[in-house]
Amino acid sequence: MIELNDVSYSYEGIPALKHIGLRIEKGESVALMGVNGSGKSTLLKLLNGIIFPDGGEYRFAGESITRKKMQDPVFSKRFHQRIGFVFQNSDTQLFCSDVYDEIAFGPRQMGMDESEVEKRVEDCLALLNIRDFRHRQPYHLSGGEKKKVAIACVLALNPEVLVFDEPLNGLDPRTQRWFVSFLIQLHESGKTLISSTHDLEMVQEIAGRAVLFDENHTISADKPAQELLEDTELLKKANLIDEYYHRHPGSGHQHFHIHPF
Amino acid sequence: MPEWLLKDENYQPLPDRDTFIDKSILSLLRILSRIRAQSGYTGGKYSVHAPWKVAGTFLLIVLLSLSRNLWFLAAVGAYLLAALSMMPAERILRILKTGLVIAFFSFLVLLPSFFMGNRYSLVMIPLKTLATVTAVGILSHTTGWHCVTGALKSFFIPDIFIFVLDITIKYIVLLGELSLDLFYSLKLRSVGKNTGKYSSLSGIAGTLFLRSKEMAEDMYSAMECRGFTGSYRVRRRFRFTAADFLYVMVHAAFIAIFVYLG
Repeated sequence: MIELNDVSYSYEGIPALKHIGLRIEKGESVALMGVNGSGKSTLLKLLNGIIFPDGGEYRFAGESITRKKMQDPVFSKRFHQRIGFVFQNSDTQLFCSDVYDEIAFGPRQMGMDESEVEKRVEDCLALLNIRDFRHRQPYHLSGGEKKKVAIACVLALNPEVLVFDEPLNGLDPRTQRWFVSFLIQLHESGKTLISSTHDLEMVQEIAGRAVLFDENHTISADKPAQELLEDTELLKKANLIDEYYHRHPGSGHQHFHIHPF
Repeated sequence: MPEWLLKDENYQPLPDRDTFIDKSILSLLRILSRIRAQSGYTGGKYSVHAPWKVAGTFLLIVLLSLSRNLWFLAAVGAYLLAALSMMPAERILRILKTGLVIAFFSFLVLLPSFFMGNRYSLVMIPLKTLATVTAVGILSHTTGWHCVTGALKSFFIPDIFIFVLDITIKYIVLLGELSLDLFYSLKLRSVGKNTGKYSSLSGIAGTLFLRSKEMAEDMYSAMECRGFTGSYRVRRRFRFTAADFLYVMVHAAFIAIFVYLG
């Protein structure tokens, strides 16, 4: 479904991605792991056709995605319908006057009649458990609620691939748990999921495969998630886990400790 | 899971004209990358200090506007070309392009005066405009924004005014990045025919307004917590270098040429 061949990208001469080769099949759930600045978010932007590679090729469903091709409005709109992106900062994704209109924005553009739009919006509201917010302004919602509305907006387009940039950032533990279960549900329903994260626990639960980015903006490992999570040496090298002096409260017990998940 | 979510969407989009999104994204990217490039520019170890550059540019603008002598204009033009030649080609093009476009507009505006017999203005004013815009362009492309605002301290501009300028530049970048993400999001979610393009734009403007209000309130609270009492002191570090001396001499020469030529 998604194929990256020797893709590189740089921001005004500063490299963000170097010689990335990646293949993601339909129905897979892939976690992109790596420290801040390793190129995960840039890759997500590239997958969504926001930016284009300086070198190499990006293919989606057999079609090469280039700047020229994305200038064709019909091709570009179909592409954006097939791959949905949930931004890290939900504030940037919400611009309508209330939650209902926000979710209905995509289906209305797809030319559905209002009853069909209403059904789709109601389904999304129910699925994300945000029925009560239907007529509220997105701007006045809490962080977790905004995230749910942002996901609902993308889901309403029924994309085949869902891309999440740091989905657990800024969410309280209860919403995080809900979110992980929701991603599992989505994956079971056949959606292809791509998530960038630092949260190793989330990787273990939602991803079948994990791709590790290193500080040189290249892929240092691409393995089944469980196998990668057990490779503590590699995770330590990638700065995703650390070993430190540690005291357990009350016990007076001190030792070096590795936190893998 | 609703049934429609379990099936692939059989959807063929209708063509729609929404190039305004791409154009807005491009212009925002251009502004942000320009501010970023300028903020990172320190000018190097041997460059002229910002206060001299600001004063020199101001002096040139005043002398240019007062002068009625074509030779003086030619001398300033030669100096500006020499200064431009030391810059990267991309910046030279950008500065000259802006200057030529503005000079051309002033030429168009003054064109009727040519038919009224005032040939002098038709030549002098566009040339003065070109030289003035080029001088400002050179200043802005060789001096970081923070250096320019910091240089104002030397001209006895109140610290609080400098502070407001610094904060303004900071929030132009922050809100610019936010609006860029909003436009990206609008582009990604525009998967068909958007009948309410203007309402999407007003939604983006509204979100930006609310966000800027929130940022302003947060900053006010943060400043209160940090003990801000209304006074802000800008530190001035200054050492007169050989480059500064040369720059001052060149500009002193311009004053002499101006007085001599009139």
